[in-house]
Amino acid sequence: MIRFEQVGKRYPNGHVGLHELSFRVRRGEFLFVTGHSGAGKSTLLRLILAMERPTTGKLLLAGQDLAQITNAQIPFLRRQIGVVFQNHQLLFDRTVFDNIALPLQILGLPKVEIAQRVGAALERVALHEKAELYPADLSTGQQQRVGIARAVVHRPALLLADEPTGNLDPRLAAEIMGVFEDINRLGTTVLIASHDLALIARMRHRMLTLQRGRLIGDGEAG
Amino acid sequence: MSATRVPPPKPAERVGATPKPKAEKPAKKDDDGPDFQALLHAWLESHRASLVDSLRRLARQPVGSFFTCLVMAIALSLPMGLALLLDNVERLGGSWQRAAQISLFMQLDTSDSEGERLSAEIADMPDVAEAEWVSREQALTELQQHSGIGEALKELPENPLPGVIVVTPEEIDKAGLEALRQRLSELPRVQQAQLDMQWVERLTAILKLGERFVFGLTLILVMALLLVIGNTIRLHIENRRTEIEVIKLVGGTDGYVRRPFLYMGALYGLGAGLLAWAILAFGLDWLNEAVVRLAGLYGSDFALAGVPLGDAVSLVLGAVLLGYIGAWLAVARHLSELAPR
Repeated sequence: MIRFEQVGKRYPNGHVGLHELSFRVRRGEFLFVTGHSGAGKSTLLRLILAMERPTTGKLLLAGQDLAQITNAQIPFLRRQIGVVFQNHQLLFDRTVFDNIALPLQILGLPKVEIAQRVGAALERVALHEKAELYPADLSTGQQQRVGIARAVVHRPALLLADEPTGNLDPRLAAEIMGVFEDINRLGTTVLIASHDLALIARMRHRMLTLQRGRLIGDGEAG
Repeated sequence: MSATRVPPPKPAERVGATPKPKAEKPAKKDDDGPDFQALLHAWLESHRASLVDSLRRLARQPVGSFFTCLVMAIALSLPMGLALLLDNVERLGGSWQRAAQISLFMQLDTSDSEGERLSAEIADMPDVAEAEWVSREQALTELQQHSGIGEALKELPENPLPGVIVVTPEEIDKAGLEALRQRLSELPRVQQAQLDMQWVERLTAILKLGERFVFGLTLILVMALLLVIGNTIRLHIENRRTEIEVIKLVGGTDGYVRRPFLYMGALYGLGAGLLAWAILAFGLDWLNEAVVRLAGLYGSDFALAGVPLGDAVSLVLGAVLLGYIGAWLAVARHLSELAPR
């Protein structure tokens, strides 16, 4: 699904974000990327999302080299990926329904299909009664679940999450992780960047550990 | 929390498939691609949604939107108003042909029948549009009426004015007019052929200067308009930065991001065009009262013409186009800065 081959990322100011990173992620896998701040977790996600390009090496997403794709192809690549952010990145002037419907509207799906898919996504995150509310009316945990519903509503093959439990208490964090596991069970590859080692240890999934842009560990958490 | 209460959807397996960098298209279904009608419907729906969204955003800030349109409308109405005034001045001075009339002063003993016959002969000439015989009596009557010295003229022992044939030429170029004047002066009974070329040249020069001034002013104000609309759209972009970033992250193309702003620019242009039309119509009507009064003092029934429908429609369409272009330039400039963070 994802293949990093000696991937390096050096910024124009000389800072090295990633050093010759190599690993593979199988289709349908659930894994964490962990490390301290500045370890390179976010850089790794940004590379997969084609927000940045690797300066060295090869980064393959389902066989497609992300260093080679054109700018015009990037939106079409991103339509195959779901992203969950720590700060949710919800649009506060739109209802929960409209927030979740956004990726489907971009795809140009008919209204009926959008309604069906958004309904299903809301069911999956147990927010089906909140569809007409605005994000400001929801708790932080509910907002994060809306973010997850938006990330999976277009049925991506890969779900990326950047510190999705960073702002949540342990109970809510565990709840959100449960949602990710549910999604993973449906066949979606899930890659979560997190520094919450305690939470990761409980999940017992594969964990990549980064330190100053280098991969220093690859094994099962816990 | 585990909430799997719906049939599990099959996750997409399309990462790495050759993407098609075209306009937003519906996602391909698992088996067949969407038909043309579905694609067209999706495209139209996307445009409808962008238009409605832009209208709502403008309606949410009615005062701000109105003043933006008003600023644009004033900038539009200035050159348009000047152009309309120039048209009216041109009309006031008469058409070019009328301004270039040739007066043939006949010998005093020319009879009315001779004058009318010659006038008819001249009217049949190829370069002549019209020829009119003005008899000696008619000329004296007009002079008495318009000169202000009517009583003094009555005291004259005999009519000193000659009969005149007023010739309106087809051509207005200087050489052609001069040649025609020369030919006419050689006709029998013609004492003098007079062409007021100086008047034509002066009027031409004044109107050309006016046109050039309006053109220059139009260019400057068009640039100002593009800046106004560009700045307005830039503020809208800033206000929607998060939304744009999210849209880009979930697969929105630049075209998808750009679309509502283009509609917004066009809507600003539409509002400005309609307001400019209203300003011009009201302004000309307001000015017309004074013009009619002034013209009346000179014995003229001249009145300012309003905004012709064709010009008004062009004004509105031009404003829409300017709004669209201004928005496009603004979005193109700022879109690259809005890479998702």
